[in-house]
Amino acid sequence: MNRGILYSRLLTFLFWIAMSALTLLPVWWMFLVSVRTRADLFGKPSFLLDVQAMTWENYAAVLSNPTFQKYMTNSLIVATSNAVLVSVLALLAAYAMSRFALVGKDNLFFWVLTNRMAPPAVFLLPLFLMFTGLRLGDWSLFDTRIGLILLYCVFNLPFAFWLLQGIVDAIPKELDEAAYVDGASTFTVLTTVIFPLARPGLAVTGILTWVFAWNEYLFASTLTSVEARTITTGLAEFVTVTGTNWGQLAAVAMLTLAPAALVLALVQRHIVAGLTFGAVKG
Amino acid sequence: MSRVTLEAVGKSYGAVTVLKPLDLDIADGEFLVLLGPSGCGKSTTMRMIAGLEAITTGTLRFDGRDVTALHPRDRNVAMVFQNYALYPHMTVADNIGYPLKVARVGRAERLAQIEAAAKKVDLTPYLARYPRDLSGGQRQRVALARALVRSPGVFLLDEPLSNLDAKLRVAMRAEIKHLQRSLGVTMIYVTHDQIEAMTLADRVVLLNDGVIQQVGTPDEIYDNPGNLFVAGFIGSPPMNFVEGLGAGGRFAGPGVTDLPCPGTGKLTLGFRAEDTAIADTGRFSGTVYEVEPTGEATYVVLQMGPHRVNLRCDKKFRPDLGTTLRFDLGAGQALFFDTATGQRVR
Repeated sequence: MNRGILYSRLLTFLFWIAMSALTLLPVWWMFLVSVRTRADLFGKPSFLLDVQAMTWENYAAVLSNPTFQKYMTNSLIVATSNAVLVSVLALLAAYAMSRFALVGKDNLFFWVLTNRMAPPAVFLLPLFLMFTGLRLGDWSLFDTRIGLILLYCVFNLPFAFWLLQGIVDAIPKELDEAAYVDGASTFTVLTTVIFPLARPGLAVTGILTWVFAWNEYLFASTLTSVEARTITTGLAEFVTVTGTNWGQLAAVAMLTLAPAALVLALVQRHIVAGLTFGAVKG
Repeated sequence: MSRVTLEAVGKSYGAVTVLKPLDLDIADGEFLVLLGPSGCGKSTTMRMIAGLEAITTGTLRFDGRDVTALHPRDRNVAMVFQNYALYPHMTVADNIGYPLKVARVGRAERLAQIEAAAKKVDLTPYLARYPRDLSGGQRQRVALARALVRSPGVFLLDEPLSNLDAKLRVAMRAEIKHLQRSLGVTMIYVTHDQIEAMTLADRVVLLNDGVIQQVGTPDEIYDNPGNLFVAGFIGSPPMNFVEGLGAGGRFAGPGVTDLPCPGTGKLTLGFRAEDTAIADTGRFSGTVYEVEPTGEATYVVLQMGPHRVNLRCDKKFRPDLGTTLRFDLGAGQALFFDTATGQRVR
């Protein structure tokens, strides 16, 4: 092999090793903290794993904790419901926008996108007032999973709509027309033609909105108190005025990270396909 | 099978009229071809029949029933699109069976009908494949089978052969014609290729700028064109034109002498290359501009004043460039058109 090419490859390899280390070292450090005893934690710091001394007691403590279980359940329900709801609504909106002649279509599209441009914190106070003020008897949106699901939906829809619009636009209109002539209704076209063909895009939309809802902290910490608290807000509860339980905090952090990492690893091929769908004429 | 009637059917987009109101009666079991150049309104007419475009004015009837406002799914038509519009995520069998699935036909019945339709177009070995694994001709056949499977009242084919290579196009043309004859279905076919129109149609509708120019059998359109557009559009090479003046029942133009004609004033003489015969005493003369042998014949391009005309001659005929040639036409083979209006003068 040419020496120049060899050096170039070696340099590229070293670059990516460095980049991976930069990204993964904090995670590795968090893992080390989560498998050490409280006494070991304050000993001599080391990046190496001492297999003899490692312990799963932090994980056991966290997993057997009913509060943690509730937070985890809440996060799963909120993130999954949000992903499903956003994907379905965004697909319907993208289909309508792509296929039908709507008055002020371009302005509407831009307006939807502008909803995502303001920093979310701006809306915190009005949302808090809305969540606590709008009441149905004793029930209000404050501290409910449905409240969080609807709120995340508002923030995720513009992005999902923008992503799916491009994907639906790339599906030839003749396929809809062929299906109509074949006897299909608009709903049948949507379920049997558009949905299967937009699946890579829907996977991307679903995963990204799921991860957004799973990781969200600001609204979850402000608009929930006990019943609907999610795992990200739960993390903060390990930091108290009397001290911080670093071992359990790291264990919860690892458990919070795991589902998102797992989901992304499983569907990363779809994500690449979805983001490049329609980029070139098929 | 259905009889299709268009009563003053027109199409406008705002102030722009793309199809002037047209009347057309398509008989049950007829093979009708809508022919014309790009943008003439032929595809729009077909899409209105399918229900994919709203009809701006007029009434569309299938067997006397007003279907003007019906959704495409309620019209019982089948359509083959120019790019086939096969569902890429479905196998050939699922593509063919899609109209039946939508109509909630039972699985066993569906499979039997898929098999039968696939057999008609020789697709049986390919039922488990996806469209991406098929050649252009096979995809075309899948689109045909999907149209056949539900026994529709009207078949609509929108330039179905335009994406195929020349050899396959000829083969598929014969298959489509044979299929239509054997099934006896009403078929409406859109094309800009006059050879396709002439070979397939029972009747041809020639459109230009959203207006019907002529309706007739291929022979009528070829032999008796109603105006200059039709005369120039049909035939390969196209009809030869020589502009001149008609007076006292005689036509005079560059290279033309002593030719009887029906009208007076500015006239355009039209004649076909194959109707000419080289003759030393002929009434037409011109200088040889170019010689084009095609194997089966030799086409001689003659310069007659400002006009160039084609003569179809014997395959061995090779005149020298620049020499003067005389030729003549048989009785009734010279057609005359009003130069100003383009209309035929009889």
